[in-house]
Amino acid sequence: MSADTLRGRLAALREAGAVLRRRPAVETIAVLARVIDSWSNPDSPWRRALNAQFPVATGFSEAAVREGAQVGFGAWSGAALHQLVKRELGGAERLDSAASRMAVPPETTAVVLAGQVPMPTLLSILLPLALRSPVLARQGSRDPVTAALVARSVSETDPEIGACLDVVSFPSSDTAQLDALLEADCVVATGSDETTATLAARVRPPRRVLRHGHRLSVAALGPEATGGGELERAAAGLALDISLWDQLGCLSPIAVYVADPDDEAVDRVARALAEALASSEARLPRGCIDPVASAAIAHERAEAEMRAAAGRDVTVHASTGSAWTVVREDVSTPLPAPLHRFVRVQPVADEHALLEALRPLGSHLAGVAIQGFGTGTPGLIRALAEAGASRVCAPGKLQAPPLSWRREGRGVLTPLVRFADLETPLR
Amino acid sequence: MNARREIERELLAWTREPGWHADEDRFQRLALALFAHQFEHCEPYRRFCQGRGYTPDRLDSWREIPAVPTGAFKQMELVSFPRERTRHTFRTSGTSTSQRGALHLDTLLPYEASLLASFRRFVLPDLVKGDRARLLVLAPSASELPDSSLSHMFAVVIRELGTPESSFYLERERLDADRLLADLEAAAAGAAPVAVCGTAFAFVHLMDEMSRRGVSFALPESARAMETGGFKGRSRRVTNSELYDQIEARLGIPAARVVNQYGMTELGSQFYDSVLRHPDEPRRKLAPPWTRVRIVDPETGKTTSGDGSIRLFDLANTGSVLALHTADLGRVASDGFHVIGREPGAEARGCSIAVDEFLAGSPA
Repeated sequence: MSADTLRGRLAALREAGAVLRRRPAVETIAVLARVIDSWSNPDSPWRRALNAQFPVATGFSEAAVREGAQVGFGAWSGAALHQLVKRELGGAERLDSAASRMAVPPETTAVVLAGQVPMPTLLSILLPLALRSPVLARQGSRDPVTAALVARSVSETDPEIGACLDVVSFPSSDTAQLDALLEADCVVATGSDETTATLAARVRPPRRVLRHGHRLSVAALGPEATGGGELERAAAGLALDISLWDQLGCLSPIAVYVADPDDEAVDRVARALAEALASSEARLPRGCIDPVASAAIAHERAEAEMRAAAGRDVTVHASTGSAWTVVREDVSTPLPAPLHRFVRVQPVADEHALLEALRPLGSHLAGVAIQGFGTGTPGLIRALAEAGASRVCAPGKLQAPPLSWRREGRGVLTPLVRFADLETPLR
Repeated sequence: MNARREIERELLAWTREPGWHADEDRFQRLALALFAHQFEHCEPYRRFCQGRGYTPDRLDSWREIPAVPTGAFKQMELVSFPRERTRHTFRTSGTSTSQRGALHLDTLLPYEASLLASFRRFVLPDLVKGDRARLLVLAPSASELPDSSLSHMFAVVIRELGTPESSFYLERERLDADRLLADLEAAAAGAAPVAVCGTAFAFVHLMDEMSRRGVSFALPESARAMETGGFKGRSRRVTNSELYDQIEARLGIPAARVVNQYGMTELGSQFYDSVLRHPDEPRRKLAPPWTRVRIVDPETGKTTSGDGSIRLFDLANTGSVLALHTADLGRVASDGFHVIGREPGAEARGCSIAVDEFLAGSPA
């Protein structure tokens, strides 16, 4: 495909958008709500296709994809989309010209996809469409499945809205096509900080760019969750959070902080988490990984062994291959995260020390799973929010964010629109 | 310590031999002896080996010597001699927010002997004995960066093999472009063999500057370039082939005469592209005979013919540990190997990240 062909497809989308905007916004939102309901149904053709195609294309195990899709899409509904529109825009009518306060979407939106978790892909595409902004999506090389399935699901539900969505694929080195893609009125860029910054630098004003860069999540266990049944439940939940999407999503914890004055607590948590990850591996096997990732895991394990050999209070719990790793560390400072089910258990003296440990993560922090802080929980939640977390939940729930989750700590729909207040009467 | 001195004596003799032979028996004997010495004198390493069930009396082959991850040099002192005898410390590059690895040495003899023998063989193979080459080095001098092993290496090479005009051209992280371009012009007209050496990123700066000024040179046919290092932590990256094309266009040094060096602070020896030594054969990295390279499957630790982790065994690492497990991927290539890196611009694996990546990029 040439850059001119891509420009032609963008022009076609622009025309399709003009046609769509003749219909009331509420109709489009209702259609997309049905699409979301369909995706939340494990027996829908889209979910069945995803379960069949995604493991082959990405290397994730079938069981893990099934479970991940169920946990993620299962938390969503069409009703949640309606509520989101109401919450953020004040109702679908704000998208129509009759409203006193108009929400004006971009005429077209380019969505540059990079991840390999299906839920953010679905949402990145449907949100501009819900605003009746046609979408030209460039799928990432690591997920050649989801965007195309989303396009089919929309098209089969409503062909006119389907005409407002096009999915393209080209190498990231093809700057001519990239520049043609970036001629859309708004660009939603996902990927690494470096990638999104590079994309943003190529976008020419007055086009807008919404960057979704690096994010990561962590967990923290307080004294009431570091032993007995509470620990077992917390470890099982964290193992699920870590196992789904093989820790490649921004909602998988890369570190578990243990805030407990009991000297044995960190070791107990590390052992429990290791057992839980071993069980998880039996039920939801980790997928294939490339030698780069495998080498990173081997390297980090060996470094931890060296720290232990040097007399540090470090222990490596690991599977025979690279399927899962838990490293009991003796410091709270951030350490490399090779992902693919590699987690560190790190001590912190108390909630204050936890916040200090999280400080370097700053704006990169997405979710924090917490348990066992008792009466200190409300204060900790507030402090975590102030520290940068955009989501605080219980272990086992990290991978099921609501559709309305403000991923960047900002609105979900509002960053895509421009508001115009109309003062009446006008003649 | 006598055992180590004996090993060093044999190593130095090996580096002086005119012909290079793998000499498996000699390497095996020296490697096992050096391992035994380091096992005895480097406590963290001994405990690491014991944790894996390896002791000198249970090893039959150098291949079994436990390899230390290179990152460990950031976290602990790996020395096989009394620490107070340290004469020189090289440190890995790093940002203000990241830890730097350190290689402590009580003698520079093995290090310098190894680097000189390899540099001469792979970068200046055509240099007649007794002759010297004009070395234009795009790196800081050893006096500016005394803890940089790369700067020290270039200083030694200039001292032993360079003409008096040889010089460093990177000062306080800035390329002294005026002086460098004037010297390149002089080198183009001179008779001495020319080698332009430096970090890949410094070459990029030079190419940018030459492009901005619209200048290019036709260095003598015998000129060569040597580049090393990657683009980690840099805002801009170019592929090797892009860089080599630019070097050819701007300096007149064909890509076939650009040598990449694979080395690291934690290691006494370096590995070079074969292109000048074997110009008619495919490019690959070649190792000096007092080193060994194993490409291992990271899942099993066993030797693989596919892509795998690079493990290096270097007899020149007498004062620390001789077996290193690198974070790099490689692939066997006949009598050498390839280093495989991620392509610049490759997409991130997920939206979560290696914490050190963004810490390195965050304001201090």
